[in-house]
Parts: sequence; C-alpha cells; structure tokens
Amino acid sequence: MSSTPMIQANKKHMSRNQLISFVAKWIFLGIMIVFTLYPVVYTILGSFKTNAELTQGGGFFPEQWHFENYYRAFVEADFLQYTWNSIIVSVSVTVLAVVTCSLAGFILARRDFAGKKLWMTLYLSMMFVSLGSVTLYPIYEVLRELGLHESVVGLVIALTGGQATNVFLVMGFTKALPKELDEAGIIDGCSLYQVYYKIVLPLTKPILAVVALFSFRNAWNDYVTGLVMTITAPELKTLTVAVVQLKYSVNAAAEWHIMLAGASIAIIPILIVYAFAHKQFIAGLTAGAVKG
Amino acid sequence: MKGEGKSKVFTKKTVKRNLQAYSFLVPNLILFLGCSIYPVLWTIKYVFYQYGGYGTGEPRFVGLDNLARVFRDEVYWESVIHTFTYGFGKVIIIIPLAFFLAFLLNAQKKGNGLAQSIVFLPTIMSSAVMGLVFYLLFNAYNGEVNKYLMELGIIDQPINWLGKDNAMKTLIITAVWGGVGNYMVYFIAGIQQVSEDAIESARIDGANKLQTIWYIIVPMLGPILKIILMLAITSAFHDITNIMVLTEGGPNNATMVMSLYGYRFFFPISAGESVVPQYGYGAAVSVVSACITGVVTVIYLKLSKKLDDIY
Repeated sequence: MSSTPMIQANKKHMSRNQLISFVAKWIFLGIMIVFTLYPVVYTILGSFKTNAELTQGGGFFPEQWHFENYYRAFVEADFLQYTWNSIIVSVSVTVLAVVTCSLAGFILARRDFAGKKLWMTLYLSMMFVSLGSVTLYPIYEVLRELGLHESVVGLVIALTGGQATNVFLVMGFTKALPKELDEAGIIDGCSLYQVYYKIVLPLTKPILAVVALFSFRNAWNDYVTGLVMTITAPELKTLTVAVVQLKYSVNAAAEWHIMLAGASIAIIPILIVYAFAHKQFIAGLTAGAVKG
Repeated sequence: MKGEGKSKVFTKKTVKRNLQAYSFLVPNLILFLGCSIYPVLWTIKYVFYQYGGYGTGEPRFVGLDNLARVFRDEVYWESVIHTFTYGFGKVIIIIPLAFFLAFLLNAQKKGNGLAQSIVFLPTIMSSAVMGLVFYLLFNAYNGEVNKYLMELGIIDQPINWLGKDNAMKTLIITAVWGGVGNYMVYFIAGIQQVSEDAIESARIDGANKLQTIWYIIVPMLGPILKIILMLAITSAFHDITNIMVLTEGGPNNATMVMSLYGYRFFFPISAGESVVPQYGYGAAVSVVSACITGVVTVIYLKLSKKLDDIY
C-alpha cells in the first residue's frame, strides 16, 4: 500500500506539516507507552528493592538488587507451592478446554443429530446470560456432592467452565473447511473418529491455538474462581490468590517488596508467553470477537 | 442417511449415528451443563428461597420477598448508580482513546507493530495482581503516583486516591489501563475492513486526515463501532476482579458495583471480612442485576438502530 517507491521517496523529505504530525503522533504514543509500561516496570524493579525504598521514596532503580526478596517469597511465603499449583491448574484447564471444545465444535459443525438444535440454542443463550461470580456457589455445591471441592480436579473443572464461546469458535472455523475433505475420507473408508482425528483436527490447529492461548491466560490470571474454590483448601491456592492475600497479611505495610516479588512471580511467566506469542494474542482476539 | 431428518423411527442406524455424535459432544456437555446451565437454574430457583448454605437447615420458600427486598434496598440501588458511573466513565474514555490509537497504529509501518503490542500488553495480565500493584502505586502517603506529582510540582498535598471522593476515578483510570489495548485491536480490525480505496480517493479529493476520519472512516466503521460499544458497555458492567482487589467496593461503598454487591452475599470480599451468607437474597440481587444489564443492552440496540435510520 504505502510502500510504493514514490511515497517512500516522499518520506525522506517530509514537509513541515508532516514532520509536525509525525512528532505529535510519537509524543502522544510515547505518553501512552509510559502509561502502559510504568506499572509493569514498577512491579519488576520494585521486587528487588527494600521496603524502605518503596515506601519512603527511593530512586527508579533499586539501590541494590535484593534477590533475597524472591527467596523470601518462594520459601517463606510458600510461593513455590502456589507457582506449582498455578502451572498444574493452567495447563490442565488448557488441555481440557482444547480437547472438549475441539470434539464438540467438530460434531456441531459436521453432523445433524437428535437434540442438536436444543444444545445450540442453549450454548448461544449462555453466551449472553451472565449472572456473574455468584454462580460459583452452585458449582461449588456440585463439586462438594462429587467429593471434588477440595481437589485440583474440582478447581480445574470450575475454571474451565462451560466453554460455550470457544465451542462456537471451533464450530465456526470447522464449518469454513470444505466438506469434500470429510467425504473423501469417508469414501476412503475412514470412520467418523478417523475423519475427526486425521483430517479435521490438523486443519483446525490455528483456532485451537487461539482457544489454548486464551484458556491458559484466563486460568493463569483468574482470581475470583481460585479464591472461592480454595477457601476451605488453602494448600490449593493459585499464585494470583496468594499474591492478593498478601494485602491482608498482618504486617502488609512492611512487606511491599514481598508483595511486588510475588506479583512479579505471577506476571513474569505470562510476559514471557506474550513475548513469543504477542502476534497470536492480538490476531486471536479478532478471530474470536469481531465476527458480527 | 439423507432422509433421516424425516424418519422418527429409531432404527439401529440412527441410534448408532446419534450415539456416535454424542460421544463427541458429551465431554463438553458435562462441563456445560454443570458449570453453565445448572448454576443459572439454581440461582433463579433460589431467588424465591431463604437459604444460609450447607448445614444451616433446609431452604425456606419465601415467594417474592427477596425481590421485594431488592427493590427497597437503597445500598443496592446506589451500587447500580455506581455501576453506571463506572461503566460510562470507562467507556467514554476508552472508546475514543482506543479509536485514536487504532487510527495512529493501523498502518503497517515501522514501530507501529511494537507500539500495538505494548498498548495491548495489560490485557494479558491478571487484573487482580495489577489491582494490588495499583493499590500500592495509588497509596496516599507512600505511593509513587503522589510522589511524582509532587516532585513535578503539579500538586502540593498528597491526593487521597483511594478515598471516598477519588476512589471511583482511580478505578476508572486503572480500568482504562487494563482495557484500552483490547478495544484498539477491535478498531484496527474494523479500520482494516474499510476499503483502502475509499480512504485513498478521499485523500486524492483533498481531504485532510481529520476529514478522512470523520467523513470516511467513522461512518464506514458504523456497524462495527456498534458492536464494539456494546461489548465495552456490557463488559464494564461485569467487571468485578479489579474492583474487588483495588477498593473492595469501598471506602464506605463508594465503589460498590452491582456484581460485587451480589457476590458479597455469597462470599467475603476481603480476607478480613466475615460474611453470613444469604444465598437467596444474593441470587435475587444477581438476577435483578442481570436484567438491568439486559435492559441497557436492549435500549442501546434500539437507540443505535434509530441512529442508523437517520444516516
């Protein structure tokens, strides 16, 4: 578009107006970038400071890098356990979401069967009805009936949830694949399971990656579900729950540095994921949302 | 196989076909029924009951008492007003800002991609963890925000960011921080659907940048703008985590919103709080809140349709 040689050449000799608008654009963007990054940078740099530096006005960078803040968070505040919980829970949620949505999305896209209309209507309506976090209570009650309320399994189920939106996402993507592929497979003697596993599954990888990325992010970042589900099972707390609870510890005022170390432990893994997959995150958002 | 829709007879073949189909659907269906359908039905049922939870005796049927109490509950209606203040405050800042950012960053030029990724960054971070960080940053006496504002000479006295008068503003600022990247990406997707030709021909006709935005991009974005606005409004009404961590609905209910108000009859908001659960009443609050959100959505859709007719 703008890469025609003529425009390129023009760029080298910007007129005064162009220069002004260029500078204005980047001043504005500079402010936005500082606004965006500051809290993140503050968290990570602050995690190496002493509490006094944080609360009594130290410099931007730590005077000395106090790595022992992390030792205290991991060992004394038990964050090793919570990190492990977060990893187990987030990975399990991701796998469960991808597998169940892939299967359901495939069959809804490709087969007519008894009751399909009813389920479709229910899935669709659940994408719009939202009663909020209070529905965690009945979920908790069901899990208690099943004896799963104080186990990782229960937490994973509650966090995975109904997945209506993701099922629709996979279904839409599958529908756009040519049906002839399935038919060719059936002619070649594939069963329905083989059609799914050998033909459709590999082709739906892009949308499954989106489901995986967002499921992982949601599970890793979740707070309310983890909080509610671990009230009676503190050993299952995830990182986010443990970090926020530092706010309520007895000497919270003297432990800003530990809070920030905990916060860093919670955000650094997702920052690393983002560094590698930022394009997929941004593209995935539009794949999921702006469908009209 | 094809005539199956007509035949209601359960032949061996159709039974097998259906069973096969359900073997794909069931894993998700279990989750969907257990985590989506059942909780909604449960909540609607308990609107009509008084119930203190496991081990507190049987739920007692009270008819419409809970709903009547919701309508008399002044704190609840204040929380509804706060929800609107929060929602509109957030949307009114975030939408123009996101649009402007999208306009600046949609072209595939050097630096734009990186700037996009940075602005989008907060949306992948935990709003709970960042809520805690903002709690420290906006602390009245030791927080960095006041420190910088005072060093720059913008203020003489520390501002009590989380006090009664400012808590809502602070909440909105942090919500804008967390959400603007999201809407920027929606807008970029929208702008890229507006044909390059239209923009190009406007430019050839001598339109400047502002004119191009106002006369070409905004009208052509219409349909997508409608969806984005609706997403922004409804999602703002559902925000709970950031509020729970940063202000806990306080001080003195100044930032109590509908979602958090209902929640509080089920679970404690903060670790220090002890709550006597009132599941029936909490259910009633939540159902009324969902209806309010629904009504707002319907009114919004009607209004935006009217605007369409004018165009």
